[in-house]
Amino acid sequence: MIYLYDGTAEGFLTAFLAAYPDEEGAIASDGVQLPLGVKAVNVATDREKAEKAKKRFLSFDKYSMHDLSRILRSGDHDKDETAFCYFRLLAEKKRPVSEMLSEEAARRADECIRRVGVEIHRLRGFLRFFETESGALYAACAPDNDIIDLLLPHFRARLPHFPFVIHDVRRKKAAVWDTEHCFFAPLGKAEVLISADENAWQNLWKRYYSSVNIPSRERLKQMRGYLPVRYMKFMPEFSRPHG
Amino acid sequence: MRKQKILEISKRMFDKLLFACYTMIMISEEKLKILTDSAKYDVSCSSSGSNRKNGGGMGNGFAAGCCHSFTPDGRCVSLLKILMSNDCIFRCKYCVNRAGEDVRRASATPDEICELVMDFYKRNYIEGLFLSSAVFRSPDHTMEQLLLTVKKLRTEYGFYGYIHLKGIPYADGALASEAAKYVDRMSYNIELPSEASLKLLAPQKSKESVLVPMKNLSLERSVFSAEKHKGKFLPAGQTTQMIVGASREADGHILKLSQALYRVTGLKRVYYSSYVPVVHDSLLPEKATGELREHRLYQADWLLRFYGFTADEIAGENENLPMEYDPKCAWALKHPETFPVEINRAPLELLLRVPGIGARSAYKITSARRYSALSFDDLKKMRVVLKRAKHFITCKGKFYGEQKEERVKLLLAGAEARANAEQLSLFSTAETALSALTGEL
Repeated sequence: MIYLYDGTAEGFLTAFLAAYPDEEGAIASDGVQLPLGVKAVNVATDREKAEKAKKRFLSFDKYSMHDLSRILRSGDHDKDETAFCYFRLLAEKKRPVSEMLSEEAARRADECIRRVGVEIHRLRGFLRFFETESGALYAACAPDNDIIDLLLPHFRARLPHFPFVIHDVRRKKAAVWDTEHCFFAPLGKAEVLISADENAWQNLWKRYYSSVNIPSRERLKQMRGYLPVRYMKFMPEFSRPHG
Repeated sequence: MRKQKILEISKRMFDKLLFACYTMIMISEEKLKILTDSAKYDVSCSSSGSNRKNGGGMGNGFAAGCCHSFTPDGRCVSLLKILMSNDCIFRCKYCVNRAGEDVRRASATPDEICELVMDFYKRNYIEGLFLSSAVFRSPDHTMEQLLLTVKKLRTEYGFYGYIHLKGIPYADGALASEAAKYVDRMSYNIELPSEASLKLLAPQKSKESVLVPMKNLSLERSVFSAEKHKGKFLPAGQTTQMIVGASREADGHILKLSQALYRVTGLKRVYYSSYVPVVHDSLLPEKATGELREHRLYQADWLLRFYGFTADEIAGENENLPMEYDPKCAWALKHPETFPVEINRAPLELLLRVPGIGARSAYKITSARRYSALSFDDLKKMRVVLKRAKHFITCKGKFYGEQKEERVKLLLAGAEARANAEQLSLFSTAETALSALTGEL
């Protein structure tokens, strides 16, 4: 039986309670394509039950909810299974399992959590803001994992006086800082009017980027290992200079 | 309803925008090119070690460091590396900007640099500024200009991001101490690994002109933190850089020097830059030093700082590092009595000495083995790289490597590759083939 939940951590914990005793139980977020002939049941999120489960897991491992949040953000198609196996192991062992790397479930979770963390770190560097006509900053990205709300605090701390929008074009949502509040909203398409100087600054940046390169030491493979091609399309240094 | 709310909020957001009204001072593209072109050979680009908080302006320090882009040469772009001026009165033989050389000269004003930093930082292009300069007019004058710029950037422009400032030899020590209160890291470049080479190639510099300010700053830094002053004094410490291959010192000599610098002046890092001939001089080698030598030196440097090795263990005073395998492999081959080590019992210090096992893998092993004994298969699944390590470890008492020493050497050096050339046809040059084989690619 597959237990479907709404994609939230609370939903996951409710579904976990239903799936755990079931020997053939599995968990999936609703909306995923299930193979034909598989029996599935929707589990309605129950806050009270979820809260209890959360307390119990936290008593086994104080980082467990942090781990869960990271895994559920993952863009992996099998993230629900990764989370389910990890928490089943935690429920069995009743103590922190994240370092038991000889266990398959712990290893999978560890790698999943690490990939999400790596992308957060990458985007802290690779995100590019455009200055709009109004002076607000706008950055588009299409991350593999659902992380823009975790990027926001980083930029809020360094740009407290600038309103900015981080737009996840893949998930069609945005994280916004208006210099007083943070909020998150669905956002499909954004029409951005850039400021008068934006192109000139971008050109300076492109000039800088090309002049720090040492052409006689080309190592494209190494470069792409650090900066995968999929991030480049939002970065001005990889587009042509403006007129 | 939702849409309306977003519209309303975004309107409010834009209304609130206040602009500091200043006349824009944008540096010209041409000037930027001249001033950054010659700064690129400065190897250091790290932005780590400072956790400066935002105090009401723009930016903060991110202790882990952050790379903002990568250039096709595989290097990270983290800081805006720029020279204040490239108009030098010194005549160092290896430098493009030496006095009398026919190159285009330019100087930037403090405001041009500050504007550039603010606008680049705002767009998240950079993590901060790496400001350096040729010695123009006099060392004191140059240092004054550098100090003026960083002071302005911090106080007038309200910049709290990372600043790395190059110290100018022979400048008044008070200027450097003042600058240290505003920047996160300072560096004096040693340039060449011995006094004799300095005399020959950089006649206007001396060992003291670099080492004395370095020692003074390190002393002041410890006094500053001991007396618990407010503010910061070089939170990310000091670094230095030396050119490898322009003069005749052996790797062993260089590593000894680095070790002394780490121990005595508490340097955070020594950068090695393999010599690239940009100017011709009869005293300089015609050919560039291989990047492999630079790579080996960095590997050895890591062993000094994070793996508990001493310089003497890695290479003798007049010895060079072997090119065929990394310095840890070389050490392990010289000490067969130490190996193999049992992965389930060996202390961390010993695990760190196993070729191919890095700090991350060593920590993974020590934490995982607390729960159950690890097999060779477990290590594989934990993604511990075993290509080299397997010859030096046992798992639950079993050995999985090659017994004969000669064969181990061959395997490690990649000499085997020549016999199986087709396996390596993916890699174009001998050097990449070698690094692919040793797992560094």
